[in-house]
Amino acid sequence: MKTSLYEQHLELGAKMVDFAGWEMPIQYKNLKEEVQAVRDSVGVFDVSHMGEFFIDGPDAIKFVHELVTNDIEGASNLKAIYSPLCNDKGTIIDDLIVYKLTETKLMICVNAANIEKDLNWIKSQANSYDITISDKSADYSLLAVQGPKTFETLCSLELGYKLDDIEYYSIQTPDLQTSATPTLFARTGYTGEDGFEIFGPHDYIQNIWKQLIQAGVKPCGLGSRDVLRLEVCYPLYGHELDDTVTPLDCALKWTVKLNKNHFIGKAALSEYEPKFRLIKFTLDKGIPRENYKILNSNQEEIGHVTSGTMSVVLNKGIAIARVLKEKYNPEEQYLVEIRNKVLKIDITKKAFVSGGHK
Amino acid sequence: MSQVVENLLYTEDHEWLKVEGNIVSVGITDFAQSSLGDIVFVELPDADDEIDQGSSFGVVESIKSVSDLYTPVSGKVVEKNEEVEGSPEQINQNAFEAWLVKIELSDSSQLDKLMDANKYKEFCDANS
Repeated sequence: MKTSLYEQHLELGAKMVDFAGWEMPIQYKNLKEEVQAVRDSVGVFDVSHMGEFFIDGPDAIKFVHELVTNDIEGASNLKAIYSPLCNDKGTIIDDLIVYKLTETKLMICVNAANIEKDLNWIKSQANSYDITISDKSADYSLLAVQGPKTFETLCSLELGYKLDDIEYYSIQTPDLQTSATPTLFARTGYTGEDGFEIFGPHDYIQNIWKQLIQAGVKPCGLGSRDVLRLEVCYPLYGHELDDTVTPLDCALKWTVKLNKNHFIGKAALSEYEPKFRLIKFTLDKGIPRENYKILNSNQEEIGHVTSGTMSVVLNKGIAIARVLKEKYNPEEQYLVEIRNKVLKIDITKKAFVSGGHK
Repeated sequence: MSQVVENLLYTEDHEWLKVEGNIVSVGITDFAQSSLGDIVFVELPDADDEIDQGSSFGVVESIKSVSDLYTPVSGKVVEKNEEVEGSPEQINQNAFEAWLVKIELSDSSQLDKLMDANKYKEFCDANS
């Protein structure tokens, strides 16, 4: 499948790869420069492959509140809420962002690879609620404009609307009442920097993309997006998160609101003792990669790398690993096995890069 | 278009070889460096390591990828390029200067199957 910006990517010389059935730009000219543009200035990503579901009706809020682990009822309108989506066992089907639009309308943005699985699951849970679920993924394009200069750059464009300086994780949606495919400006992103994600009809997004490129905003591919998110330690489904683990195994306890009356997975998660934990580490020499083994000082395997790369900001190898909680002791020295060598890892508590979002 | 240098031998894995008597220097081509993008890490064998034709003798890594280096010839490593290990971006800057290892050939007939510059150029055109 191709996004509405496919031709533009080719014109800009993007290297295209298959991602979840979509032909997506992995990088344009230089991945490092793309990362730096987002950290220092502004860059734009086409992430139109992601899925958009609308939940409408009198029970819309209640339904989504009970569908996901995070608190939806308690959030104000025009706020975005990050949450895992779990099954009855408490393991993770997907992670997503809920955009609370009105008392009777929400949008959910899900990972491209999980659109069908999520939609089937969500529909299967909807029986006793007065709602309609619409998959509008095919009607929307999505841009992530990210970096400290995002707001001033967007304000210099012909957006057709006056963009407000809204707070982090807030939403502005000027044509919500008048359009079947309302435009959403959300101050969200996956880079740790300030930025907006803009959901809109294809022609509108194509126009914004064109203006951004003309204004000198650097087009960025999925490669730099992955480095950016890993530098700030945001989890990625299929890597840190999957359906074999619960949010409590992967540093997402803050998204599980056990004080809610009911939500799918609550019973299981209330009693669950985490088996795993995520650790973050750097390497001075060498680059940790996905599935490399983590060993303790007795050379016993205690886990594996879930994501690893060379950090552009730190200029050294960085990784997140999933390790067995009972085998892990923060005082101990651990190792990573790279090809035939074992190297000492430096475990850190904080994210590798702090990011500048407000 | 990527650059090809005369008087070198080439492999289908996009490595170049410079033959000086019984010693060959091995590096990766301009085509290879440009498809890899920014090279940020190189791992090379130590001097005196014996390596076999077709086996992996090291890796070059870009930010997002790991690529094995395959030796087209068997022999003993006489030297590795520590300067390139320390600053792998030299490969992006000038792939044909940034040799990786020097190998003492154990069987010089292994060179016969390699491509010359013209053949390699055609090979790249057919594969790009």
